[in-house]
Amino acid sequence: MLAPRLSLLDHHPIGIATGVFVEARGDWPTLVEIARGVSPFVTELTALSESELPYLLRYLGVAEDLAFAYLSVHAPSKGRKVPEAELIEMLRSLPSAVEAIVVHPDTMVEPIAYRRLGHRLVLENMDMRKATGRTADELSPYLEALPAAGLCFDVAHAANIDGSLREGHHLLTRFADRLRHVHVSSLDASGHHVPLTVRDERVFAPVLHRCRDVPWILEAPLREP
Amino acid sequence: MSHDSTTPAIERLAEHRAGGLPNLVEARSRTDRAQDQLRRKMATLDVDADASVVLFGSWGRRELTEHSDDDWLVLVNGPARELVRPTLEEVGAVLGVGTRKPGKRAIFGVLSWCGDLVDNIGLQDDDNRNLTHRMLLMLESTPSIGAEAYDRAWTRVLDGYLAESRRDRRLPRFFLNDVVRYWRTIAVDFVGKQREDDHKWGLRNAKLRTSRKVLFAGGLIPILRCHDLPRDRVRPFLIEQLSRPATDRIADAFLSLDQTDAGVRCLGAYDKWIGMLGDETLRRELSRLTAENAAQSAAYTDVRRLANDMQAGLLALLFETRLAPTVREYAIF
Repeated sequence: MLAPRLSLLDHHPIGIATGVFVEARGDWPTLVEIARGVSPFVTELTALSESELPYLLRYLGVAEDLAFAYLSVHAPSKGRKVPEAELIEMLRSLPSAVEAIVVHPDTMVEPIAYRRLGHRLVLENMDMRKATGRTADELSPYLEALPAAGLCFDVAHAANIDGSLREGHHLLTRFADRLRHVHVSSLDASGHHVPLTVRDERVFAPVLHRCRDVPWILEAPLREP
Repeated sequence: MSHDSTTPAIERLAEHRAGGLPNLVEARSRTDRAQDQLRRKMATLDVDADASVVLFGSWGRRELTEHSDDDWLVLVNGPARELVRPTLEEVGAVLGVGTRKPGKRAIFGVLSWCGDLVDNIGLQDDDNRNLTHRMLLMLESTPSIGAEAYDRAWTRVLDGYLAESRRDRRLPRFFLNDVVRYWRTIAVDFVGKQREDDHKWGLRNAKLRTSRKVLFAGGLIPILRCHDLPRDRVRPFLIEQLSRPATDRIADAFLSLDQTDAGVRCLGAYDKWIGMLGDETLRRELSRLTAENAAQSAAYTDVRRLANDMQAGLLALLFETRLAPTVREYAIF
């Protein structure tokens, strides 16, 4: 019998991060509709710059039920000005429909303060450009300090750290119970997220096979056919 | 660590999870001790050669907590008659006493005739009670006394389903359809009960999302796995699978279909739920909830999250492994 070859992109649920749509940045209703056109099941609302967060909070405060089965918000990682405690309270005020709040561990000044985000807090493994949070050993103290937090596994970041993906496998083994969702893309030479290449789809397949039960979020558009 | 084929699948899966699956393992030990105690209490009862006292629910799943009900019946694999030993009164004096009493709907604490379970599959005489007895017998039961009569009755029902299966590499569709029908019946009955009486809505809803789903998946998945088998291997496969608790069947599927990580997360979530069930304060909180106020309860939010994690793993097993074409072929129509 032919064993079915499950394309990575046949995974369900798979959606897209709104950060992909640079031209619509700040226009949350449009961003949500574009993301919904890719998948009505899952999306990540990207508020990477701190200045975007208040507008996102305002939008979510008045928007009707967005009806995504899994809704993630990527917390600010740049343009940080407000004190950390204030940022945490802003993130905490995200409506309960937001199931995941993705935070970069290298931006945390006092990790334990993030306990206020409870189970919704999700830490993302980082790439070579960042000072920490890149490997299982570097993430471990954060996840120990934050026992309710989960892991957002960024496969491109894991490959950037270790092209063999042994470290990626190690992350998935060590934090098996903590995995919440996956970021899927390739990286260009500058470390920016680009469409998943044919080569990376093949190379990433074994680690992504271990993540078939969680939502996947594309961090770049699908490649052109 | 090497395993012989008798190592329960749940223990093999637990090795891949930091901290194991302690609540499930402890619940099994607790159930085994309680079963031994029960058998000693029942040993003095007269039992007809064709009768057995059968336990269901958390007894059958081997997930007993201090707060579990005793859902039981006397199953007779013989001709209908007035006097059956043990009598319902004799069994009722030992099982289902006080707060452990089975529910009000006369599903349990009754006599059940194996002939009705086998001869009335579908159509008018297969009422809710008959369907429930048959499904729970097949998927979530264990004998207390009369084990040989129980085994004969159980295989008689299985053979009733398999009589329709005549070809290799075809799963037993008659059995599959009945299991799927039962799951949908449970879900529909949940709303029906809610409309009559929303007493203990929160706890019932939590169980629907978790334990009832395990009951269904524990039947669905082994049946779907029969698709790979020649006809003469289906019966021994199902006997072996269904003789184990549902969590073993599910764990075995995750391991066999190369989805160990998803299995760890799925049954890890279920393990946490089993731990919650043993918490009396939490049970009382869930019991007090209604559909309208449940979202305000942190405990209910936790249960929903665990249930979603569990379901995500089961869906990955069904739709993202080599089982997927079989699911597509058989599970909808």
